[in-house]
Amino acid sequence: MADESRIGAGRSTRSLGWAIVMFLVLPITIVVPVSLTDQRYLSLPQDGLSLRHYLHLIQSAEWLSSIGQSFVIALGSMVISVGAGTLCAIGCWRIGTRWSETIRVLMLVPIIVPTIVYALGLYRLWVKLDLLDSYFGVMLAHGVTGIPYVVIIVSTSLASFDPRLEQAARNLGASVPYTLRRVILPSILPGVISGSIFAFIHSWDELVLVLFIASRSIFTLPRRIWDGINEHLDPTMAAVATALVLVTALLLVLDMRARRLRAE
Amino acid sequence: MSELRQSVVVDRMVKRYGRVAAVDDVTLQIDRGEFVTLLGPSGSGKTTILMAIAGFVQPTSGEILLDGRAITRQPPEHRNFGMVFQGYALFPHMTVFENVAFALRARGRPNQEVGRRVTEALDMVQLGPYAARMPRQLSGGQQQRVALARALVFTPHLLLLDEPLSALDKKLRAELQLELKALHERVGLTFLYVTHDQDEALSMSDRIAILRDGKLVQFGRPRELYERPATRFVADFLGKSNFLAGRAEGPDGATLAYSCGSLRLRQALDGPAPPPGSPVLIALRPEKIAVVADAVPDTANAVSGRIAQWSYSGTHFHLLVDTDAAGRMTATVPSWRCRIEPETGRLVHLGWDPDATVIVTDDGAPPPGAIQ
Repeated sequence: MADESRIGAGRSTRSLGWAIVMFLVLPITIVVPVSLTDQRYLSLPQDGLSLRHYLHLIQSAEWLSSIGQSFVIALGSMVISVGAGTLCAIGCWRIGTRWSETIRVLMLVPIIVPTIVYALGLYRLWVKLDLLDSYFGVMLAHGVTGIPYVVIIVSTSLASFDPRLEQAARNLGASVPYTLRRVILPSILPGVISGSIFAFIHSWDELVLVLFIASRSIFTLPRRIWDGINEHLDPTMAAVATALVLVTALLLVLDMRARRLRAE
Repeated sequence: MSELRQSVVVDRMVKRYGRVAAVDDVTLQIDRGEFVTLLGPSGSGKTTILMAIAGFVQPTSGEILLDGRAITRQPPEHRNFGMVFQGYALFPHMTVFENVAFALRARGRPNQEVGRRVTEALDMVQLGPYAARMPRQLSGGQQQRVALARALVFTPHLLLLDEPLSALDKKLRAELQLELKALHERVGLTFLYVTHDQDEALSMSDRIAILRDGKLVQFGRPRELYERPATRFVADFLGKSNFLAGRAEGPDGATLAYSCGSLRLRQALDGPAPPPGSPVLIALRPEKIAVVADAVPDTANAVSGRIAQWSYSGTHFHLLVDTDAAGRMTATVPSWRCRIEPETGRLVHLGWDPDATVIVTDDGAPPPGAIQ
């Protein structure tokens, strides 16, 4: 009896696991065949495969401009997140008291607060600061909300950093900034790279904030897809989605390599 | 005048963490060019003192002086002290060359000078051919030498060493002890060495400071500490000792007569005798005991007992002897002089001279692992 129930539990656990994997992966795999459809509307291929929607994508000024905008914004917000997040993590690590622990938790607020609430607040503030519908406004919004990822990852790196290395550097006559540049940063570099990748991805596929604070001039890629779905069911979107998935997957592979570097 | 001879002075240093005093009113005067070891069990405060001298620990009170000048509040990077860390703390992302060059680059020395001095430093520790390697490609002993070269390349005022040999195996440790001592003689710097290993301390130091629970117990030359330990703790931490708890009876010529149980024993005196009737604690080194099988030895002190346990280490026999009068005693006999065949239960006589023992202050229970 006991044995049977244990096998049953194992089986149900395993099928639940597979169901979750399917749930996570299937929506991604569905866009690939759709993007290769030979039809004019969003559908699975019928008479054969075609690359016409990819061709349309690279010929369309609108899509290309959105890709360009998303890329520039993601880069800019990545710089903001990585700069602020790394400094915050290092500062908390150096001070190392209860207060710095509180600050580290406070830094996670952008993940904890629902994005829509955050977006509402940002919208009000951006109106006052005259940052609506500007590159800098979106970069700043994405940059700030990307900080938690960097703080978490860099803090993890710092936790395994031997504090004696800092003492050794100081003992050898290095000032605090010199130690930071030559010893601490190179040691936690894999963590910083990993954090950068996550900050980049965070901005690259962010939609809610953009819907609130952008109007005519800023049309990021997620926003273009959103509009496309609402207005016309152009299969180009599936091609874009495939491209998005590929870019993200590529970045995650890069991240795994950075982690392996850190493990060494 | 004496100011000129001193390199570093730790003056009435106290360091508290909350209510615990890690270092409790320690004063140390270290002479220029000396090799001084801070020796003590873990938690004795030795590393805290070293870290305060290096500038990583701020004393709660007291001062650190260098050449008579207070440096207590100077940041570590301005002190110009070399340091070899426990586990070496080599920069893992830099080559051996860049590790050694670090201090010179931080001081903004020109490239040509950096190259010359790093090469010299690496040659000094026989690691010239390894300059391009990464630290993780080196053995423990080689990493230790890199750490030494890195700490010496900028001609520091003194060299601090925090248990630098603790990660190495026994044979390598013995080799590097000799090398460190030779290096000390060659460079003529003041070395301040922290360890919990008494063999390291005895074999290398000019003077040893013995610490316990944050307090300085005794500070002196190795032989002085070994032959004339001031307290029970020192007698037991540095080497091993038998302890005889007795009662003073009065001076008898140049010796003190005392009783220990039913025994009447003698202790050589080099100071005033303790008043008759007062308790005395006598420390006796196991190797200063003569072991005889057939007759009671003609030494001034003798006690008989049966062998409870014995072991052989090649050079020595170690005997545990249960005596009626003085409890269990340990005797170490060089094998070539051991005329008896040790055997459990055998009756033996232990004898020693009045000047083989020393009166020590009883400062509480000996550390774990000591002989009773």
